[in-house]
Amino acid sequence: MKKLLGILVAVVMLLTMIPFALAQDVTIDYWFWADNDGYAATMQEMIADFNATNGKGITVVGSQVPWDGGGYSNTVFTAAMGGGGPDVATWKLTATPAFVANDLLAPLDGYLENWADYEQIEESLWEVMRQVGGGEKVYVMPWNTQVLYVYYRPSMFEAAGIGVPETYEEFLDACAKLTKDGVYGFGMRGATGGQEPWGSFIHARGGTFEDLTTPQAVQGMNDFIDLFKNGFTPPTAPSDGFSQIIDNFKSGLTAMTVHHIGSSAGMVETFGEDVGAFVFPAGEGQWTSMGDTENVMFASCENKEAAFEWLAYLAAGKGQETWCKVTGNVPVAARVKEMEEFQNNPFMKVSIAGAPYAGILPILDTTTEWISGVWPATVQQALLGDITAEECMEILQTELHK
Amino acid sequence: MQSSVARRKHPFRRFFLLILPLIAILTFLLFPYYWTLVTSLTPRQELYSANTVYWPAHPTLDAYGKLFGQFNFLLPMRNSFVVALTTTVLSLTVSTLAAYSFSRFRYRGRKFFMVLFLTNNMFPTVLLLIPLFTIMRQLNILYTPMSLVLSYTTFTIPFSVWLLNGYLNDFPMSLEEAALVDGANRAQAFMRIIFPVLVPCLLATGAYIFMQSWNEYTFAVLFTNDRNRTVPVALKNLIGQLGVQWEMLTSGGIITVIPVCVMFFFAQKKLVAGLTSGAVKG
Repeated sequence: MKKLLGILVAVVMLLTMIPFALAQDVTIDYWFWADNDGYAATMQEMIADFNATNGKGITVVGSQVPWDGGGYSNTVFTAAMGGGGPDVATWKLTATPAFVANDLLAPLDGYLENWADYEQIEESLWEVMRQVGGGEKVYVMPWNTQVLYVYYRPSMFEAAGIGVPETYEEFLDACAKLTKDGVYGFGMRGATGGQEPWGSFIHARGGTFEDLTTPQAVQGMNDFIDLFKNGFTPPTAPSDGFSQIIDNFKSGLTAMTVHHIGSSAGMVETFGEDVGAFVFPAGEGQWTSMGDTENVMFASCENKEAAFEWLAYLAAGKGQETWCKVTGNVPVAARVKEMEEFQNNPFMKVSIAGAPYAGILPILDTTTEWISGVWPATVQQALLGDITAEECMEILQTELHK
Repeated sequence: MQSSVARRKHPFRRFFLLILPLIAILTFLLFPYYWTLVTSLTPRQELYSANTVYWPAHPTLDAYGKLFGQFNFLLPMRNSFVVALTTTVLSLTVSTLAAYSFSRFRYRGRKFFMVLFLTNNMFPTVLLLIPLFTIMRQLNILYTPMSLVLSYTTFTIPFSVWLLNGYLNDFPMSLEEAALVDGANRAQAFMRIIFPVLVPCLLATGAYIFMQSWNEYTFAVLFTNDRNRTVPVALKNLIGQLGVQWEMLTSGGIITVIPVCVMFFFAQKKLVAGLTSGAVKG
């Protein structure tokens, strides 16, 4: 009897060990960019946390890849086309069409159907993800967003005797009144990336991206040119990129500039309480750009279920909370958005207030080239007076919708 | 005597024609380095002040401390050294032997191979990225320093062969022939006669190869991962989408320049001799 009992105990022990034996350890290669070494360290901590807590034998190995002014997407593309690359990578929506056209991304629909946290993310955002993937499948997992708004210096507004602009006309008027004593009213971005704040001017006059040649869109372009011509922006505006507009604002050279919450930590570090934000005001229309950062899974990934676990951790799990708290980006998961820390952040409040008007450029085959080459080259010519606003908008329209 | 009188006669001429242009050129050349150094020593609060300052009020080495502490800059530096030195040794060995062959022997296909070597450098790097990535992956050496060494040699060897071939063509054959007559074989003649004379040229070519490998980014970002990133990739990580860590970027730049400067300081004399050899026939 004792012998039989011994055998029985041994069999039970063996049976309990089977699931552990079957659960094979898998490794997921993850590529990401980080805006500074602090964020890179945070990402490695999140990876360590996921590896320690997922309980499924999944080990994520994170590699930081330089953002390289957007060259990040090309690096990932080259690696993927060469048959290598990561299993999962941090992402920008604009890169999606080229990767989908080459069958490099894995569709996520099968995993999303059974994902308990699917409804944590707004349906409108899923719709955007579907659109960039061609309209039918979701290839891109939302992670965080950044809604562009206007940073301003309350002390400069006070000195100029004006309040926060509530209409587009008041905003243009503020640009003029704030220009004095070596300070420029508006930090304009004329180099790559400038199409985002520029889009607000076009829409404020009632224009749209669908037809950039309408009188309303041309009027918006004229406003943009006039700010530069009248000296309300730094003379370097046509070639100013992200670094220049932020550095100019931080050094007190400009009184207002357009960017998103990702810069807020640095602004507060520089100015303390002497920095505020407001939504780009409405004219005949209102629009602001939604910046985005997502994650994707590659078609070549051999352990897709494990990769999805990591995607889910970032989109609605602990990763979502940690990353957005550290970077100040706007979370996509409702549970995290509702957290007190996010509700009490003034920059987050402005981001959320601007969200209803936030949108993206049409994602077409031409968009990437239009953003990186056509827009800066054409708008620079218009700012410098080489072409008229009408000619500029004609070129932009033709090149975007060709 | 006459020239010293002339110099005394026109004291301003020398100043305006030589010293002033020299100062202007040196200022133009050295100011970016000075500005890089100043930025690396400036605290962040001063860095973003509205006034332009040419020396910080409170210079600090914090950025250097952070660079070697939190950022672990020694790792990419070590990786860059390994890659650059290995590439230099490998490229020089292969190029010297190939150039010697092209210079001293006449055989069928010689010119074809020389032109082939030259056309290799005409290919835009970006065209070779995907094929090389695939090759490295299949050889199972992706994300190892060897993948970078092999990639860099594809560019440095052809150019170095042409460079060394030019130097070797200027050495008279009679030197080697004398050694051969005295009973030395080809290898001995090369090692005892040609090699010692070739040292300045090898230093000049080696410096070119080292700098190419030390500064290269396009291959380095693709063929390495966090364990074996080289200096250019590590520094590029400090330029994010939303901000640039200027103080660390510039301190990294200063540190990166030091090894190259030290190398040039010691090799300067021979380097100039190597670069100018073959310039004058006679």
